[in-house]
This record gives sequence, C-alpha cells and structure tokens, in this order.
Amino acid sequence: MTPLLETKNVTCVYSPHTPFEKRAVDSVSIKIEKGDFIGVIGHTGSGKSTLIQMLNGLIRPTSGQVLLNGRDIWENPKKIRAVRFKVGMVFQYPEDQLFEETVLKDIMFGPRNMGLPDEEIERRARDAAHFVGLPDELLERSPFELSGGEKRRAAIAGVIAMDPDVLILDEPAAGLDPAGRDVLLSSITSYHRTRGNTVLFVSHSMEDVARVADRVLVMNDAHVEMFGTTKEVFSQAGRLSQIGLQVPQITQIMSILKDEGYPVETTLTLEEAVAQLLPLLPKGGDDL
Amino acid sequence: MTRDIALGQYFPGKSVIHRLDPRLKLILTVAFIVYIFVVHNFWGLGFLILCTAAMLLTSGVPVRLYFKSIKGILFIVLFTAVLNLFYGSGEPLWQWGFLTITQQGIFNAIFIAVRIAGLVLFSSVLTFTTSPTDLTDAMERLLKPLSKLHVKVHEIAMMMTIALRFVPTLLEETDKIMAAQKARGADMESGGLMQRIKALVPVLIPLFVSSFRRAYDLAMAMECRCYHGGEGRTKMKVLHLTRLDAGAALAGIAALVVVILCNVFFARVF
Ligand SMILES: Nc1ncnc2c1ncn2[C@@H]1O[C@H](COP(=O)(O)OP(=O)(O)OP(=O)(O)O)[C@@H](O)[C@H]1O
Ligand SMILES: [Mg+2]
Repeated sequence: MTPLLETKNVTCVYSPHTPFEKRAVDSVSIKIEKGDFIGVIGHTGSGKSTLIQMLNGLIRPTSGQVLLNGRDIWENPKKIRAVRFKVGMVFQYPEDQLFEETVLKDIMFGPRNMGLPDEEIERRARDAAHFVGLPDELLERSPFELSGGEKRRAAIAGVIAMDPDVLILDEPAAGLDPAGRDVLLSSITSYHRTRGNTVLFVSHSMEDVARVADRVLVMNDAHVEMFGTTKEVFSQAGRLSQIGLQVPQITQIMSILKDEGYPVETTLTLEEAVAQLLPLLPKGGDDL
Repeated sequence: MTRDIALGQYFPGKSVIHRLDPRLKLILTVAFIVYIFVVHNFWGLGFLILCTAAMLLTSGVPVRLYFKSIKGILFIVLFTAVLNLFYGSGEPLWQWGFLTITQQGIFNAIFIAVRIAGLVLFSSVLTFTTSPTDLTDAMERLLKPLSKLHVKVHEIAMMMTIALRFVPTLLEETDKIMAAQKARGADMESGGLMQRIKALVPVLIPLFVSSFRRAYDLAMAMECRCYHGGEGRTKMKVLHLTRLDAGAALAGIAALVVVILCNVFFARVF
C-alpha cells in the first residue's frame, strides 16, 4: 500500500552559492501512514520547520521528491494549492496571521479559498471553532481583542476548518501557560481521535510528545536521527542526550529506578508511572 | 525568497577594500563617480575602466554578483545608448529616413553606457563591501559639520540605521505571513491586477499590526536605556584612519591627476 505522505531524499539548501549557504534538510526519506500521530523533535536549527514546510509545498525541495498518495506534489506546480488544502499547516505563533474583522470570518478564510458553498464554509468554521474550544460569543469579536491563547486557538481553527487529511503543527503550544497547553493538546488529540486524520506536530517539550504522539521523528543536523514508536525512541536516552535532547523527566526517574533493581518498565507518562509504583509501596499505597 | 534581497547587498569578506575606513570608501566612491563623468576622451575613459576592473577584482566579491547588478539596469543602459546614437552632429556615416548615425553619435553612446555602468559598479563595490550600519555611521560622521546649521544629523542617521536594521526583519516577517496565508490557500500568484492587490490584504494587515508593535517595543527599550539623542553621545566603535586608508587616499588622488592630465593633453571627443 502506498503511504499517505512520503519523502524521497528531500534536500533543502537555503541561499545556494553564497557565503550564507545552508543545508537545512539533507536527503531525508520518511513514510507517514494514514492516521499516524507523529511528534517531531530535534534541537534548534535541526531542520524541523524546513522539513514540514516541504511536506505541503510551501518550500520546493532543492532535490528529492515529496509524494502525496504516491504522486509527486510538484508534478504540476500550478496545482500546488490543492496539496495545501490536503496537508494543512499551522505555523509557529500562528496568531500573527489573523487579519479579518471577526474571528469567524478569519476562520472562514481557508475554506473560502477552497471555493466551497457559503453554508458549508460557515458550518465548517463553527465546527472548527468548537473543536479548539472557542466559545460562540467570541466568534463575532475582532481577532485583535482576544487573549494570546484564544488567538492561537482561532488561528489553529482556521486550518482545521479546511479539514485537511494531514494536519501539521509547528510548536503549537509554545508560549502558552500550562493550562492553555493542556487544553490545546487535548483538543488536538480529540480532533485526531474523532476525525481519524493524520497529525504531525513539532515540539520542544518531550513531556507533550510522550503524552500524545504514537510515533516520534527525531531530527539532528538536517538528518533523520531516529523514527519509531514513542517507546522505542524514548528508551534510548543515551542516544538522545548525545544530540542534545532529553527524555521526559518521569522516564528518566523510572529508568534510574529500573537500574537500581526495582521491577519497573520504561514509562512515558506520569499516569503509567503511578500505576507501576503504587503497588511497590508498603500497603500498596492504600493511604494515598 | 525575499531573504535573498535582504542579504543581496553586503557580502562579508576580508579584502583590502573591506578593511578600508567606510568614510574614506564613501568619499572615494563619490570621487570616482565624478571622475567618470568629467573625463572626455578615450584615454581617460580607458584608464578609468582599468581602475574599475582592478577594484572589482580586489574586492573579493564574485564577479558574477557585479554582472547581476549590471543586468538589473542593462535595459536603461541600452536604451539611453541607442537614443544617444542618433543624437550626434557632423558627417552622417549611415542614414535611413530621419535616422542618422554620426561618429559623434557613436562616441556619445559609448560614453553614456560606460558612465552609467561605472556609476552602478562603483556604488556596488561600496555596498557589497560595507555593511549598512557602517555606511550610515560613515554618513553621520561625514555630515557632522551640518549639525552646526541645526540639521539633526544624528537623529537622521539613527532613523536610517533603524530602518535598515528592520528591513531584513520585515522581509522575514512578510515571508512568514505569506507562507501562513498560502498554507490557508491564499492565491498570490495568479489573477488580474485587482485580484492580486486584494490578495495582499491578508498579508499587509498582520504586517502593519506587528510593525506597530515592534516600533512601540523598540521605543520603549530605547527609553529604558535612557537614549536621548545625539548630544554628548560617544561611539563604541571609534574609526581610525590607518596606513591602508592613506594608501587608498593616495591612489584616489593619483587617479585624479591621471584624469586631469588625460583631459588636458588629449582632445575632447565627448
Ligand atoms: N529562509 C531561510 N533562509 C536561510 N536559512 C534558513 C532559512 N530558514 C531556516 N534557515 C536555516 O536552516 C536551518 C534549519 O532551520 P529550521 O527552521 O528548519 O530549524 P528548526 O529545526 O525548525 O529550529 P527551531 O526548533 O528553532 O524552530 C537553520 O540553521 C536556519 O538558520
Ligand atoms: Mg522551527
């Protein structure tokens, strides 16, 4: 079966033939299946943003191919807009892109560009707003009057409203408070669960990735360092720390306990860890 | 894409020309532009072409880039040259209808073309080898005497520096917002003029909003550091003239002498 989205040796060189030449992504080949929930991690400047922008045709690869449903997206450059509707992209700090008079109109911008009928556009916009948890009374306000977190949700709704097959988010939770982060992550996971769409999200928070992603793509210096299930990747703490990344704190604690001889497994989330540790306490942790 | 324009001018390097004092470079550039406009015979012109070639080669900037800057104005050069071709007086060499070409016309065309190309090349050498901040700094110092006439030299230079400083930032921001709107299906590459102008609205509004926010932040930051304009302000980077600069100045004067000698000893052809 052909994967939903695939890259074959994609390479991106910025400012070629100048002293500023930079190989941001070097010969990357990955396969993304339908329904995947992928976390993308890697240190600053490792090429994550560049790679994901090539996936929806915002950056044309210097060489190599990006295949959507088995077809090269650059086969016909005039049709690239159709690819962008299928592969939706939410940039870092997406609140900077809001421009319409009202939040609702701004969310409708994407679907309107798709040329859908008016009722359908509005229905999708309201659905998307609902998904990201924007209350109805905010929809008629100016986007510039919203708080930072609300703006962020409005901007994400603007992309979700296009109902893309693949949703890509570049550090969606950056700069939000812990509560805002939780709301945002859980609305993305519920979007993924109910629609069954593919989601890719870039994050610097290992905790967030461990909590929601099924698979993890690790970028290092323009290359793919690892690509596997979340457990596989985070059980290699040594290799990750060599490239300047860490595993979630709870995973570190549990692996120390394991090395000390306690009967515990590699765990990724607090809940799993609690479930393993409680039985080890005297009285099975009854008084907790 | 737009980032290429922003970085297009300054080309970092360590050549002799890069190391010259920016003030001197500015003066020499103006001087050479004057030379090429006063010279009136082929000997002088040939000499200046040689000087230009020497400068381009010592600047350490790929010659390809100079060709690129010439290519930008190629049309203007050709257009004015061709116009001048038909504006000569004297014996017609070739005639067709009302169009006549004379020897004078051919000379005119050559001089005009070389002068415009020279103008562009000299200024390219300057902008390729001097960072924008050094350039405004040099301008501020050279125009210092004007502050006696109550011209606010420091404030003007500061405004230029800030403007230049924010050009790359704005271009980057434009790139980012354009990419974000394209990701939502904005179509900026097709359609008629009206449609294209309309397509810019989703880019311009966020750009204005963020520019105002940035301007406000910058003003606040400057105020917090007690910035109060030019009065009594010292510079972190004090410019000193070196031997290298003295040599360059001598070369500039020598070139002036050659140009004057050529103009005195050889007959005017333009
Ligand atoms: N438009 C551009 N022009 C030139 N170089 C660029 C451009 N965009 C990114 N780069 C460079 O390419 C490299 C990879 O950048 P990229 O934005 O993909 O990194 P990233 O992994 O997303 O980093 P971060 O985690 O900081 O967002 C960096 O070294 C960056 O400086
Ligand atoms: Mg990034």
